Amino acid sequence: MAEVEETLKRIQGQKGVQGIIIVNSEGIPIKTTLDNASTMQYAGLLHQLVMKARSTVRDIDPQNDLTFMRVRSKKNEIMIAPDKDYFLIVIQNPSD
Amino acid sequence: MFTDEALDSVEIESLWRKSQQAAQESRGCQTRAVHITEAEVQTVSTSSSWTQTEEPQHQDTEQLLQQNQDDPDPPGLKDFLQRVEDSVIRELVRNARSHAFDGFQVNWEEHNNRVSCLHCLQHPSAQERGLHVTSVSWSCTGSVIACAYGRIDEGDWSTENSYVCTWNLNRQSLNPNQADLVIDVPTTVTALCCHPNQPALIAGGLYTGEVVVWDTSQTQDPVLVQTGMSADSHREPVYQVSWVPLQKKGEFGVLSASSRGQVLLWTVDSDQNAFVLNAAYAFVRQQVPHSSSFKVRGSSTVGVTSLALSPWDSDTFLVGSEGGLLLRCSFSAQTPAAVPSEGQSVTPRAPAVFSFRPRRGPVHSIHCSPFHRNLFVSTGTDGLAHLHSLLQVDPLLSLRVSDSYVFQVQWSPTRPLVFAAATGQGEVQIFDLGRRSLRPAATIEEGGAGHAATCLSFNHQNPRQLAVGKTNGTVAVWQLSTELTEQNPRESSQLEQIANQVAE
Repeated sequence: MAEVEETLKRIQGQKGVQGIIIVNSEGIPIKTTLDNASTMQYAGLLHQLVMKARSTVRDIDPQNDLTFMRVRSKKNEIMIAPDKDYFLIVIQNPSD
Repeated sequence: MFTDEALDSVEIESLWRKSQQAAQESRGCQTRAVHITEAEVQTVSTSSSWTQTEEPQHQDTEQLLQQNQDDPDPPGLKDFLQRVEDSVIRELVRNARSHAFDGFQVNWEEHNNRVSCLHCLQHPSAQERGLHVTSVSWSCTGSVIACAYGRIDEGDWSTENSYVCTWNLNRQSLNPNQADLVIDVPTTVTALCCHPNQPALIAGGLYTGEVVVWDTSQTQDPVLVQTGMSADSHREPVYQVSWVPLQKKGEFGVLSASSRGQVLLWTVDSDQNAFVLNAAYAFVRQQVPHSSSFKVRGSSTVGVTSLALSPWDSDTFLVGSEGGLLLRCSFSAQTPAAVPSEGQSVTPRAPAVFSFRPRRGPVHSIHCSPFHRNLFVSTGTDGLAHLHSLLQVDPLLSLRVSDSYVFQVQWSPTRPLVFAAATGQGEVQIFDLGRRSLRPAATIEEGGAGHAATCLSFNHQNPRQLAVGKTNGTVAVWQLSTELTEQNPRESSQLEQIANQVAE
């Protein structure tokens, strides 16, 4: 359990990281470093986006699958690492 | 045969007498004396508190997010993190170093480099009489603009009637020369403010000191409530009205400020036919907190010419006075004001908490920044715009806006570093604090100088629109360029840096 916290601390310590959220397969956040309101917003919206991206990739080529997703916006970048049971969402502002 | 016989008499003893006598015994009993003492109780201090339950919207989400350290992690979380950690950190590091997106910009909307005039609205009968536009306000939907006519250069009582006109800019049948709705008002209107939630209500302050709320959905008689000339109301022109959210969620009261040094908070009573004075604040020179570095001179009343509410702190409001004072005040101040009692229903209180460096000349306009808690900008007749922090006495920045009076200043609702100022020379200067130079980023001038621009208002629903009212009785609606309305990614941090400066 301490390893989980340590891993999150290592990721949080990278340059420009604004927040980390871990979401389970149903879209419910289980760990977060942001406030509740933002976490719920990110978790709900990004879960749908990742499922849509994954189905797009698999529709184009059924042997393919989504490995990583990055959404770059004017103010920051959202990175999502998907998996069978969990998603890891990291929000980074690279110019900070 | 018959003989006399004497029979003995039979005696029956009386039982009744005996039983009565036997039962008679006297006893005495007495209760012990009851001790009585008197005591009095009096409350020395009272405090009232109230609680309110919030709607249980987020309760279940908050429970889900309770990260109790004692609960074991969900199964597989550790393995998942081990799997992804390396790749995520690699991406994060690469992203922080990458220059791939430097200077990369996407145009989602059509980039517009020009500032153009969309409409020029006028009301012919007001223009014939030479009335000036004293105040403009957008409705909460962003499609209706309301303007108040009157005169700004008056010193006397006048009996001129004036108008409040509204135009709906999104209608196809918009006629710039004819207002959709004209409300006749018996005196000049000096302040106007549209309700933040209900598009039909408009609050106005009159030259006579009355505060009126018009309901534009009632065609018969638009006046919904009016303060009238009671002991409670203002006696001097009302220079600013604002809708203030009250403690009960969803309800709003009207805050009005007049040049006699009074700020009053009115609520509409439940029958919707009268204003009830909720709280009164009065400013007296002696009760204004002084900073030791500057002396305050002048008469004892502090005439209020401008008012600003802080969107971040519902207890704070800022007040600017005729003498150039700039004060930070609190709604919950308790000290009673040192004004002679005039039979008002609510005792006036002295709300001034902090005094900023005074200006030379009346402060015409104050506006709190919607992007930073501590910043506000103020202007007055000295032609300068001062950027203040709520925490410091001296201004952080002083910009020269024009050589004449500046009547109104307002922050842009979309760009944290931009504000616009309406000047007495007729121009609207728009300043961008992100630029190195202190000259305005844009100047909006509508031909024919000589007519002062008296008021301006950004449209919060459609932030590219800016309405400007002038003394020639016209209201111009301008469309701003993309540069002035789109936020840069670094603006919030730049604003933060400006706010954290310490004034010398």
